[in-house]
Amino acid sequence: MDKVTIRNKYIEYVLEQGHKPNSVFSFAKSLGMEETDFYTFYSSFEAIESEFWKSTFDEALEKLAKDKTYKGYGSKDKLLTFYFVWIAILRNNRSYVLSFKDAKIKSIALTNASLSAFKTAFLEYASQLVKEGTETKELKERKFISDKYHYGLWIQTMFVLNYWVNDNSANFEMTDAAIEKAVNLSFKLLADNTLDNVIDFGKFLFQKAV
Amino acid sequence: MSNDSKEQVTIPVSKIERAGHFVATGVKVGGNYVKHYAQKLINKDTSREELLQDNADDIYETLSHLKGSALKVAQMLSMDRGIMPKAYQDKFQLSQYSAPPLSSPLVLNTFMKTLGKTPGELFDTFDIKASNAASIGQVHQATKNGKKLAIKIQYPGVANSISSDLKIVKPFAVRIVGLAARDADKYFEEVESKLLEETDYTLELRRSMELSELCAHIPNLTFPKYYPEMSSAKIITMDWLEGMHMKDFIASNPTQEALNRAGQALWDFYDFQVHKLKTVHADPHPGNFLFKEDGTVSIFDFGCVKEIPKDFYDNYFLLTNQEIYKDEARVREVYNNLEMIHPTDTEQEINFFKPLFKKMIDMLTYPFTVSSFDFGDDTYFKEIYEYIEYVSNLKEVRESIKARGSRHSLYVNRTYYGLYNILNSLKSNIKTHGPLHFN
Repeated sequence: MDKVTIRNKYIEYVLEQGHKPNSVFSFAKSLGMEETDFYTFYSSFEAIESEFWKSTFDEALEKLAKDKTYKGYGSKDKLLTFYFVWIAILRNNRSYVLSFKDAKIKSIALTNASLSAFKTAFLEYASQLVKEGTETKELKERKFISDKYHYGLWIQTMFVLNYWVNDNSANFEMTDAAIEKAVNLSFKLLADNTLDNVIDFGKFLFQKAV
Repeated sequence: MSNDSKEQVTIPVSKIERAGHFVATGVKVGGNYVKHYAQKLINKDTSREELLQDNADDIYETLSHLKGSALKVAQMLSMDRGIMPKAYQDKFQLSQYSAPPLSSPLVLNTFMKTLGKTPGELFDTFDIKASNAASIGQVHQATKNGKKLAIKIQYPGVANSISSDLKIVKPFAVRIVGLAARDADKYFEEVESKLLEETDYTLELRRSMELSELCAHIPNLTFPKYYPEMSSAKIITMDWLEGMHMKDFIASNPTQEALNRAGQALWDFYDFQVHKLKTVHADPHPGNFLFKEDGTVSIFDFGCVKEIPKDFYDNYFLLTNQEIYKDEARVREVYNNLEMIHPTDTEQEINFFKPLFKKMIDMLTYPFTVSSFDFGDDTYFKEIYEYIEYVSNLKEVRESIKARGSRHSLYVNRTYYGLYNILNSLKSNIKTHGPLHFN
């Protein structure tokens, strides 16, 4: 028994039963292992979920690392490629991904705890992209704000994820269009003066309020 | 092949965004009129041409932002050289060749998703930069085993946006064409169904292969070979075709012989399809043909194909038969079948429209009634345009809220309209094979 097998068994359980196992004890038993052995791999079910999300990210980056074209791209095209590859990986696990949907908001909540490891890894990746982008002048450097760009890209990632989660088009082609549009727009905002105008206006309103 | 001057950053997909573009154009066009009249106050010589040029620029700008079906509508409008002023024509002609490119990751993604392979795995070389844009996609060049290939790739989500697009374009088109809005519905349904067909690359590939095979025997025509194993619902791979666009071909000072050869090849191509196959390549705009110096023509893009129903075909070509005009009841029956007159029409209305139709039909079908016809004859076309203008300015016609003509006539007329225009531009002398040779 190894980590990946346990993770896959867990996903299988959730998909087939429609809910999480009642306890680590019962899940371990169904795998024919002792509860205490389970903890040598994962401390809780949440840890498995968290690792699932992180693994989709790792798998995507692994694929990209092998891609020669990817290396030659600027930040924008790199991020586009990341999204396309990542969504393709999620597609293999779509049913499981859908199980994370929050019934009330019909989407995966930004605050979903199982995303945290993925989020940390993505933010690191995104700040690397931003750094590259500002060096090549693809993105505009702004005092105090440039260090926050990658948070914006995280929000965008959640937008892409939820667009895909709710996409009913054949072969999810509308998600492809959404990715293309979202990334084009965000890079345009970060590149030219539009954002400066927004900030300027915000400052103005704030001053008036004070 | 032309290159794009401006790179487009985003493609508006949502309806509101698209509508926004149209509103912006409306405002700009309005502004152009203000500018025009302001200049006229100062300088009486300001030409209307200039105003039309300004308008065309703005409208083109808008349409180029919309890609997809809106661009297609622009193409349809640009066919109507007689109806549109010259400034509009030139701009819209441009829209037939170039629209802005899509990102390279999206191109690669389309390959992975629909063929499961990267272009690098499929081809020996693949140019990631699009060599030109089609209205709902773009074309890339590749090579494999020393052969140059053209790869047509479709934008994602095109089919989804067509219906909402047409709803926005409708009031525009209705104004330009001068149709009553509710009567335009049947035509818009026809256009919509054709546009949706055009997004179906699987269907297009099948039709392209079938029709090129069936037409292969026609002299001086060449068709590309298609590669189904490297094609998918979003990708079509075919041989890369060499040749000039029509404008460049004409500018290269070809001999009259070459011009006739090119025109004849096209005439025979359409003649054979309409009368023998009853299925026709219904998109004869110059962008779909490439010409060689000697006048041979390459034909590709079977995205828009009209299948002509037998019933419609019979009635439509009965119009060219002078015999039927001897029998009043027969004429009415045929007009009725073609929905040119309606059972609800008054006797007065019928008597008003009948002679107009007769004259129009006589003019338009004249080339069919003789054994050869010189399409370079500008007086013929001028006469037609003038008559169309005369008719469309008649009070009774302007106030008529009924659409006249069956939905099938839309693409069949458009096919002939496009063919006539191309032959006129080529100044070809055509052997039309004599009166009603097909009956």
